[in-house]
Amino acid sequence: MNREELITSLKKIVKPYIQDEEAFENLSEGTDFINDLKINSANLVDVILDVEDEFDIEIDNDSMEKMLSVKAAMDIIETKLSAS
Amino acid sequence: MIGNDVIDLSLAETESDWQRKGFLEKQFTAKEQVIILEAENSFEKVWLLWSMKESAYKIYAQLNEERFFAPKKFKCKLTSSDEGIVYFEGQKFYTSSILDGSYIFTLASLEKDVTYYSSIGPPYGIDQSIKKKLEEETGIYSSEIEQKKSENGAPKYYHKNKLLTQSCSISHHGNYGAFSLLLT
Repeated sequence: MNREELITSLKKIVKPYIQDEEAFENLSEGTDFINDLKINSANLVDVILDVEDEFDIEIDNDSMEKMLSVKAAMDIIETKLSAS
Repeated sequence: MIGNDVIDLSLAETESDWQRKGFLEKQFTAKEQVIILEAENSFEKVWLLWSMKESAYKIYAQLNEERFFAPKKFKCKLTSSDEGIVYFEGQKFYTSSILDGSYIFTLASLEKDVTYYSSIGPPYGIDQSIKKKLEEETGIYSSEIEQKKSENGAPKYYHKNKLLTQSCSISHHGNYGAFSLLLT
């Protein structure tokens, strides 16, 4: 899966939780889940659980800690996918 | 130093499914999961503990310009139905909550006994309400009071270059907005 495909599937995952449509339309690797997309911090865990389901990977606590942006999420998914 | 969090319970009910597989395991310690599952109202306990973690995190974020998502590392202990202590890497945060059935509000502080001001109301106009409150307290016109945000988003209120708030925390969720102030 290339970066472009990855960002597309990530975009689909975060869609139900975003509260800023404009930031969502312009979503890029630099987008922050909380500051830009205004995802409620209580929904961050849903994003993480959805990512686990979608890619069939397990996100450990250390990785979860860093999952605050699109780029961080993509890096973590890629690392986990290549390890599996 | 203080931090707060407010949760609109009817929104939390539709926004999150706490019974979803992995939801508790990822965010709550084994001990906390027992407290939740043994509670008469597990749903309310989930959000009480969550608001304790979140308000403590907000203090940590004011002290350290650092962001992360590690709810499990903030370990909650309830000392009564609405008071508790959150432990995080050797630090202690004292919490006190209000549970009124429609919302949960939690205030965390580093000091055990602290005089602060909190207000819970609608989710809009919070900035203006804070300025009005500061005007009342300091006699400085609210129009001359300015909000500036620190690097990671913690709000601070100034008059010219003078800092008026020793600590300030704002939260909103659904139909509720809250702010807490510790004046200088």
